Amino acid sequence: MEPKTKQFNQGAALAIRDEKAQKSLLGLYHGFHAARLRAADATPNWEELRDHARAIKAHTVEHLDYYLAQVEANVAKAGGKVFFAADAAEANKYVVDLAKARGVKVVIKSKSMVSEEMGLNHQFEAAGIEPVETDLGEYVIQLAEETPYHIVAPAIHKSRQDVSELFHRKLGSAPTDKITDLGREARRQLRQKFIQADMGITGANFVVAETGTVVIVTNEGNGRMCTSMPRIHVAITGMEKLVPSMKDLGTFLRLLIRSATGQRITSYVTAVTGPRRSNDEDGPEEFHLVIVDNGRSRLLANPELRESLYCIRCGACLNACPVYRKVGGHAYGWVYPGPIGAIVSPVLTGLGDAKDLPYASSLCGACREACPVRINIPRMLLVLRRELTEGTAYPGQRRVALAERMAMRGYRMAFQGRMFLGLATATGRVVQRPLVRKGRIRRMPPPLSGWTRYRTFPALPKHSFRSRWKRGL
Amino acid sequence: MTTAPRDEFFRTIRQALGHPEGHTPAPSATALGRTRGDVDAGARHVREVMQRDAGPLLAQLAETANQNGWKVLRAPSLDTAADYVRDVVRRLEARSAVRTAHDILNRMKLDLRLADTGVALQVMAQGFGLDRAALRQKAIEADLGITGADYAIAETGSCVLIPRQGVSRLASLVPPVHVAVVERGQVLPSLDDLFTLRRDDFLSGNLGSYMNIISGPSRSADIEYTLITGVHGPGEVHMVLMG
Repeated sequence: MEPKTKQFNQGAALAIRDEKAQKSLLGLYHGFHAARLRAADATPNWEELRDHARAIKAHTVEHLDYYLAQVEANVAKAGGKVFFAADAAEANKYVVDLAKARGVKVVIKSKSMVSEEMGLNHQFEAAGIEPVETDLGEYVIQLAEETPYHIVAPAIHKSRQDVSELFHRKLGSAPTDKITDLGREARRQLRQKFIQADMGITGANFVVAETGTVVIVTNEGNGRMCTSMPRIHVAITGMEKLVPSMKDLGTFLRLLIRSATGQRITSYVTAVTGPRRSNDEDGPEEFHLVIVDNGRSRLLANPELRESLYCIRCGACLNACPVYRKVGGHAYGWVYPGPIGAIVSPVLTGLGDAKDLPYASSLCGACREACPVRINIPRMLLVLRRELTEGTAYPGQRRVALAERMAMRGYRMAFQGRMFLGLATATGRVVQRPLVRKGRIRRMPPPLSGWTRYRTFPALPKHSFRSRWKRGL
Repeated sequence: MTTAPRDEFFRTIRQALGHPEGHTPAPSATALGRTRGDVDAGARHVREVMQRDAGPLLAQLAETANQNGWKVLRAPSLDTAADYVRDVVRRLEARSAVRTAHDILNRMKLDLRLADTGVALQVMAQGFGLDRAALRQKAIEADLGITGADYAIAETGSCVLIPRQGVSRLASLVPPVHVAVVERGQVLPSLDDLFTLRRDDFLSGNLGSYMNIISGPSRSADIEYTLITGVHGPGEVHMVLMG
């Protein structure tokens, strides 16, 4: 997918003025976020589960090549095939070539964020193959020709009227204000596609190295359909989705599902190990697992950013983030929005264009608090900000202005010693005089005017605490 | 000389991890709890608990399954269970149904007990006169799917199906209504216990190709956070608990 990360400010401004978007974003807080908190409270040893999961992810990522080789061997033993794709283009070519070689006309898809990264649907369309998203939210997004708004709830910014109008326009169905009718219409339309399709594509929530098993978590059952009806199943996953053993799944399923929607468990957890065996009654004849790097090795190579690969894509940091909940999913301009997206998107698509994303945070820490594997997102946002101001690795980045560097040096000096601090505040008291109205500084002159564009500053008081203390308060 | 894309992929990862020359050393078996003895002992313990606590586990499952949207029946006898299924068939005015070859359904004499309802009941297994394509068509046309269970989970209100010969993937998925019959002694305390047993199955070469943990009706809240059921899978699900 073509990144639009450059346009963060425009996207954010658009969303903030959009009342409907604001209403649905508020729903994330009162819905998913509140449900997560209740589920965490109701889970014994929730904090230990988080520690345990983090330790497993850290171990797996440190031994990633070992576990990837194990997946490859075990999928092969189960009769399937693993393809390692360095980037989106290689992954697209493998999947589209496979579809062409097998004479596939219709492809059904269960939700896969990696396939969004790859822009796979466009590649299918260019090859004359019809891709059909089958998750209800993704289906709506595909008909509307948009990108997902949220990792877990891709069409949550659409009202029932929007969907009804969309179905009417694209499918010719009768307008309705009942969500059950919309669900029934989607079932009717998609059931035909499930029957026609020769290839099913899914993501993977987890890949178990020890057994070569792909685990998929869904509520609607489209994941089961995609892995049961067509004759070919292709699972596409980022290379970080591995867990070593089946015995890790209990921990991760509890954390993922409760963090995502607050449910105790989703309606379906599906585990796929290779294609159907010769005696099985049904299931696909072929199984392919496409493991995608697409820039993840850059996160792996940087020890300060490596823990972003622990992410299990639950969306909890989005729901917790006061910035995401105002600017919405589209402002981030790529597949992964919200706090984790502000780390992953710049590194995967190029930091130069995504300069605004690491700054789209107040560093309040709500994301870190919400993260089931305790990813320290604020720290990594600071790392990216540092790279943007000091680093040289990214094209188009802004060098810090000399004035700003001098100012920061002065700031550091002032706050390191009592004498300089006293001197600085004394100077400040004199300099602020023409700016103070009723104890507040309302407007600062350039280049500091940006600071007072949306807020006022308290003026420095006449006397410092130290001087008052000396005079016995 | 060109390296294969696969090798290049691995080389990039090793380089990123800081040892381009060779493999990351394999983690030790004991560190991962991977010794066969551990797994055996764990699985043996789980099987003991399933039998020892069968009664309380069934009671807990009845409650959690109900919370997840299953219609739950505690059936004291095979006859009660069969009567319940017959009532469901009658209420739905079902014309055709599919079922798995689970033995519990034979012991319920389901084919016989449903005969007077007029429903055409097809066993979703080859060797009953139909090939795969015809069986699939039966599942698509069916008003109801009836299955046994391979396990159930008290913690999560789930029934677990492990498709294989005689156990179709489609019977519990494609029809709009699913009835699952769980036997006494099949109920596991938690998700972890299921994976302990499945790990044991894997090491014995019996993992199979597929498993589903089913925990209520197919549902979606993708539009306005409003819950709807029956989006792709069954919108109505029944769990019959034996004993």
